[in-house]
Amino acid sequence: MGERWCWFGFVDIPPEGALASADTFTTDGEPAGLLAAWPAEQRKQSGANRLDRRVIDPEGPPMALSLAVAPRGVRVLFDDPAVVAATRAVLARRWPAFVSTLVRDAAHIAGAVTGIEADVAQRWPAWFDTDPFARLFRARRLRVGPGLFRRVTAPVGPVHQRYAGLPWPVAGFPSA
Amino acid sequence: MREDLQSGSTLPDVTLPDHNGSSRRLSDLAEGDPLVVHCYRGWFCPKDRTYFRNLLRLQEEAEVAYARIVSLSVEPPEVSAAYRAGLDARWTFLSDPDGAYRDTLDLREGTDTVHDPYVPTVFTLFPDLTIHRIYNGYWYWGRATNEELRRDLREITHDLRPDWEV
Repeated sequence: MGERWCWFGFVDIPPEGALASADTFTTDGEPAGLLAAWPAEQRKQSGANRLDRRVIDPEGPPMALSLAVAPRGVRVLFDDPAVVAATRAVLARRWPAFVSTLVRDAAHIAGAVTGIEADVAQRWPAWFDTDPFARLFRARRLRVGPGLFRRVTAPVGPVHQRYAGLPWPVAGFPSA
Repeated sequence: MREDLQSGSTLPDVTLPDHNGSSRRLSDLAEGDPLVVHCYRGWFCPKDRTYFRNLLRLQEEAEVAYARIVSLSVEPPEVSAAYRAGLDARWTFLSDPDGAYRDTLDLREGTDTVHDPYVPTVFTLFPDLTIHRIYNGYWYWGRATNEELRRDLREITHDLRPDWEV
């Protein structure tokens, strides 16, 4: 099951064996830190969370990100109705380039990262306002890459439940 | 409908655009879950609008019960996307605008020469597209009720999940 998710977070230097990493910038162009993804088998780093492995691509295009992360000390259950409402909204709306929730542990959501190609965000600055998870947690609006994320197809729906603790919308039980 | 399509046979696989315009292969959409494939005439059909309201009630259960729904028509993706949004549906709509898959299944409805739609049909499927049951909805009362869909999804899930008896 490990290949279906990876660790993801801000780092000072990319972990050895990282799947991909890229500098991020605010929408004003100010440096905002280095984001990296590394295999599930490797050690977690401080502040890292689990992410849908499919969205990571070292050959991916520049992206705009809405990175909504729960503040330190705030623990929100995946089963919270507000989280369910956000996932329903993702399913109902036009799919961006990718969405992955961030998983802290078996029960709690750490946030979500939503992306769209940078050129689309350039033409449509209000895109950042469309992230349903930004209503749960304060979202950072970033530009990143190339070389970190890629477009994936939308979840089939209407399932908004997680599969054995995987970051939604990763689907399928390990036994299936 | 093709005579070889019946319980226990396999629904032919196909790759079609979804409501986002992304190319999707039907066999990739189940991802290990039971799948309901619902062929419908189109946004213009009052019978379809009524039937969709049933599926919307089932959506409330499918979204927590690990079951997938796919609706399929000859309408182009932008029309499917608008119809889906208007319905508040949160499942995938596939578009078969040239009717090629409709003809593969022999599901062209001959009475509507304006739209050449699918015969309204519901397939309940295992993840590998093995057909559990088929409902011919040409006459409205032939369509699968939500009770019938619940029964089918229960039966398929029973067979799929090794921990059903836990």
